[in-house]
Order: sequence, then structure tokens, then C-alpha cells
Amino acid sequence: MSTPIIWILLPLLVAGLELPLLRYSRILKWGGSAFSLSLVLSALVLPVSESFHLLFWEVRLADQLLIFGRRFILSAGDRSVVALLFFLHFFWLLIYNPKNVPAYFVPFSLAGVVLILTAYAVDPIFYGALFFAFLALINVVLLSPPGKEPTPGVLRLLIYQILGMLFILFAAWLASWIDLNRGDQLMSSRSLLILALGFSFLLAIFPFISWIPMVGERNHPFLVGYLFNTYFLGAFLFGSRFITEGGWLTGGINLQTPLQIAGVLMLGFGGVLAVYSRHLGRISSALIIAEIGRSLLAFSLFLGGFPIYFAMVVIQALALGVWSLALSNLQNGLADLELGSAAGAAHQWPLISSGLVVGYFTLAGLPFLAGFPIYLSLGSALKLYPGWINGALVLGTLGLLIGGLRILGVLLEDTGSEPSLILGERFDRGLIIALNGLLVLLGLFPQFVYLIARVISHLMLGS
Amino acid sequence: MAPLLQSLLAGILFICGTGILMTTNRRWMTGMLALQYMGVFGLVGVSWPLEIAVVKLVAGWMAAAVLFLTYQSLPDSRNRQRLTAGSEGYLFMGFAALLIGLSMYSLLPVALRWFLGATPQQVLGGVWLLGLGTLQLSFSREDIRIITGLLTVVSGFEILYATLEASVLMTGLLAMLNIGLAFLGAYLQMAANLEDRL
Repeated sequence: MSTPIIWILLPLLVAGLELPLLRYSRILKWGGSAFSLSLVLSALVLPVSESFHLLFWEVRLADQLLIFGRRFILSAGDRSVVALLFFLHFFWLLIYNPKNVPAYFVPFSLAGVVLILTAYAVDPIFYGALFFAFLALINVVLLSPPGKEPTPGVLRLLIYQILGMLFILFAAWLASWIDLNRGDQLMSSRSLLILALGFSFLLAIFPFISWIPMVGERNHPFLVGYLFNTYFLGAFLFGSRFITEGGWLTGGINLQTPLQIAGVLMLGFGGVLAVYSRHLGRISSALIIAEIGRSLLAFSLFLGGFPIYFAMVVIQALALGVWSLALSNLQNGLADLELGSAAGAAHQWPLISSGLVVGYFTLAGLPFLAGFPIYLSLGSALKLYPGWINGALVLGTLGLLIGGLRILGVLLEDTGSEPSLILGERFDRGLIIALNGLLVLLGLFPQFVYLIARVISHLMLGS
Repeated sequence: MAPLLQSLLAGILFICGTGILMTTNRRWMTGMLALQYMGVFGLVGVSWPLEIAVVKLVAGWMAAAVLFLTYQSLPDSRNRQRLTAGSEGYLFMGFAALLIGLSMYSLLPVALRWFLGATPQQVLGGVWLLGLGTLQLSFSREDIRIITGLLTVVSGFEILYATLEASVLMTGLLAMLNIGLAFLGAYLQMAANLEDRL
């Protein structure tokens, strides 16, 4: 028995077994949630590479699996990543409503999480790029429900992911060349350039950013929220492992400045998009573009930035979750998600609208909400660096806040219309209240998020 | 393999890549895709043992077969929709393909410095497919054209990558990716006609 069998092959098998059960969406939801939670617990409890007693047997869980000469490794240090990924899956299944979202979300989202984990676990790490290509295939199916034409944004997502994979594989081969020809600056800069292109495609960094607003505008808000949350976490995890294990940090290569420039660019785009967007889906894209920017800035701090990044991921999941849940419920009451169509929604559906406002402002960085302390830590950590980085952080946040005030203004507009129908099931409304409360509480007591983030990064870096 | 045969295979790849770009008929497009995989198999076979290189051919033909069978089961109205524009479109695409062909040929000496173990025909075949596939991706917003473009780009990459590394897992994963792309293409073609019951 080994960890890749428990955390990769078994969930993949379960995802396959869930496919014939699509008509029983409630069973899938709760069964899938329970399975994900059991995987989280197993990651937290099971000792890796140590003998332990299971009923009558003595078991030793190996940390690797050999397939066709390549190793898949999930060691004790990776348990935090396993727990985080399956916890996120559990969280999204918990807030998933089978009446609003197609049932195939359950197996495909599980398979997606497993592919992220596989990309993270494979050795040599550059093989992970191929698993991201498979993830792109799954994400395209996830975003293209039956009965609808695939949207242009989804097709562009597919193109960029496949091209990103090719560039990363090629850069990894060039890097092996550098090992043989140490000191070859030309080859080193070429391979870095190709690698940067590959990760720009994968992480949707400027100028390959266009699919994010396209997908946000035309696809189901819940699926988009899930995709943005888990996909970018996976890409960042893969990127961090690729850079550390591939030896890209050694040899005097300066990665910090490019990461900071890319981060500032993304944050700037996010802020501008939030100010000018007239569609609620595009506004959620602005949030995620800004989050990619902040994540890049956190990664540019290397060891010091990891706890900040993981704290951002936890908050991002909660905030995107409540935003997506509220938006997918609001969609049922509106003709479309244009900002103008949502005029007066706060009077008609105050609870659903509160989910939108709290989710948005958390990610925008409004004080007293959960995002603010984390972004403040990021700004404090960046104060040692040139002023333009902090300036961009402030301006990007300002753009997001202005965008939020626009949303608030439109939602609170007095259109004189009375509540026409009750939106959302009782369970959804309860979840929105609970998540709103949690985001406010975590804003007042951020030490809980820091504690989780520190444990994750400590375990990960310890490996 | 004789250089003349390799040159012939590289030429077939260029003709197929251009044909896929220009044709408005889905069945012809798939036929040329299948022929293209024969060229890929031949050029990969220069670097790899034939029994491993044949994986490329089998996977490619399976991908083409999946796409072809999908057209058979599409409703007539959708199947009759012709891809891309009329005669001006033909001319423009042909000219663009020619430009790609010439520019890639002019880049051959530089590319050969990167792929030290490759023959000029392998490099030429690979970069032609990469270029023509990218052209296809940038010209069209139709799902089937994008899938075919991606299959063409991946084929070009496979020829070049075969000169660098021969790993069983990588071969298997790339073959699965080809077939996966074809199944995705089939799903995207059918998705609009499927019942919303999932």
C-alpha cells in the first residue's frame, strides 16, 4: 500500500464509479462530500513511511509508486497539500446545489483535484505539465454542460493550457541541457524565457489573460468559481515545486523581479477590469485576476511568502464560494448577469445580495473582512522592495474597492419593485449566512487563518 | 530511413497541414488528419524503434476515427454546415500556410542547432506542423477546427520531442492526450444536441 494509491488511484476510481450515478445527484453530493472529508482526515491522521496497526494487521504506507519507470511521490511533508486540496473539494461539494449545477460536477471536480495532485506528485516534476493538459480537458467538459454550445472562453482556455504544457516540457528539456553545459548563459536565458512563456499560459499571466473574463462572463458562476479557486491553486503548487525541484532557484537566476512585475501587472488589470466591467461574471474575473497578481507577489517573497499565499487560498475559497453561491442563485431571478439587470436586487433578495457584497469585499481587501489582514501582511512584507510594487498593490486594491462600490450602488438602487419570488433554497440561504459570518469573524480574528497557513507551509517546506 | 523518404514524409505533413487548414469538409479534414499521422509515425520512427513509434500512429488513427464517427452521428443540419469562408478564404488561408512554410524553412538552420540529434526533415516536419496548427488555432473559433489545430500542434511537438527523449510514460501520456482531445472534440460537437439531464 502506498500514499499515491490512497490519494490518487482510489479517488480516480471513485470518480469513475460516480459517473453511472449521475441521476442520483443528492446521493452523489453527500457521498462525494463524505469521501472527500475522509480523504482529508486520512491525510491528517495516517502516518507515512512508518508502521502502524490497522485492526489485526501491521501496515506500512510507502510514500511512492513506480509506474513505467517514473515515481509518484506523496511523502509526509505533502500531506498538508493533500489535505488542503481535498478539503477545498469537500467545501465546494458542500455548497454545491444539485438543482442549480449539473450533477457531473461531482465526479469531474474530484478527477480534477486528483489530476492536480498527480501533477504535483510526479517525479521528474516536468511530467506534471501533461497532467495539467488532462486537467484542461476535464475543465472544458465541466464548463460545457450538455445542451449548450461551448463558449469561446472555454476553447481559449483549452488552447492556452495545451500550449503551456508544450512550452514547459520543452523548457524542462532545455534545463537538462544546462546541467550538461554549466555556465551557458545564452541557453539558460532561453530556457527561462520558454519556461516563463509556459507558466504564463498556465497561470493566465498577461498577455494570455483573455480567457478569464471570457469564461467568467459566459459560463455558470458556480463552476467558474470552483475552477478559479482550485485550478490556480494547482497551477501555483505545481509551479512552486517545478521551480524548487528543477533547480531554477540555483545558479544566480533572478526570479524575484519577473514575478513582481507579473504580479503588479495582474493586480493592475484586475483593478481596472473591476472599475470598468458591466457584468457580474466579468467582475468575478477581475477579482481572480487580482488574486493571481497577489499570489505572484506572495511567491516573489519565497519562504516568507508561503504562509501568506496559503492564508490567501483559504480566504479565497470561502469568499469565492459565497460569491459563486450567491451569484448562481441570483441568476435564477435575473434575465442576465449584466450589472444593470441586478439593479435593486438588495431590496428584493437581501440575503443573496449580502453574499455577493461580503464575498466581493473580502477579496477586494475591505477592512474588518477576512481578506484585509492577509493583504496587509503581504503589503508589509513587500515594504522592503521598490515603492512601485506597494503603489501598485494599493492602486489595484483601490480599483477593486471602487468596483465593489459600483456593485453596492447598483444592488441598493431603488427601482420600486417588490420581492417577486424567494430565491435560493433554505440550505443555500443558511450557507450564505454562515459564510458571511465566518468571513467577518476571520476578519476580526485572523490568527486562525495564519495558524492554518503556517502549518501548511511549515509541513510543505519541511519536505 | 532514406533521406528522400524522410523528405517525402515532411512534404506530406506540409500538404496535410495546409489541406486541413483549407478544407471546408469535416470528413476530408479527418482523412487528412489520419494521413498526417502516417507522416508523424514515419518521422518519429527515425529516432525511435518502430514498435514504440507505432503508438503515435495507433493513437492518431484512433483520434481521427473518434472524430469521424462523431460526424456520422451528428444531425444532418449540423453536418452540412461548411467550415470557414468561400474562395477568398481559400486564397487567404493558402497564402498564410505558404508563408508559414517558407518562414519555418528559413528558420531550419537555427532550429537544427537546438535539436542536435534530429535530421533536417524531422525538424522541418515538426515545425511545419507546429506553425500550421498554430495558424489553425488563430484563424478559427469553431470547436472542431480548434481540436484539429491542437492535434496538429501536438503532433509537431511529438516529432521534435521524440528526437530529445524516449520515455514510455511520456509516449503513453501523449497518446492518451491525443485520444482525449479527440473525445473532447466529439463531446463538444455533440454537447449542443445532448439532453440537459446530467
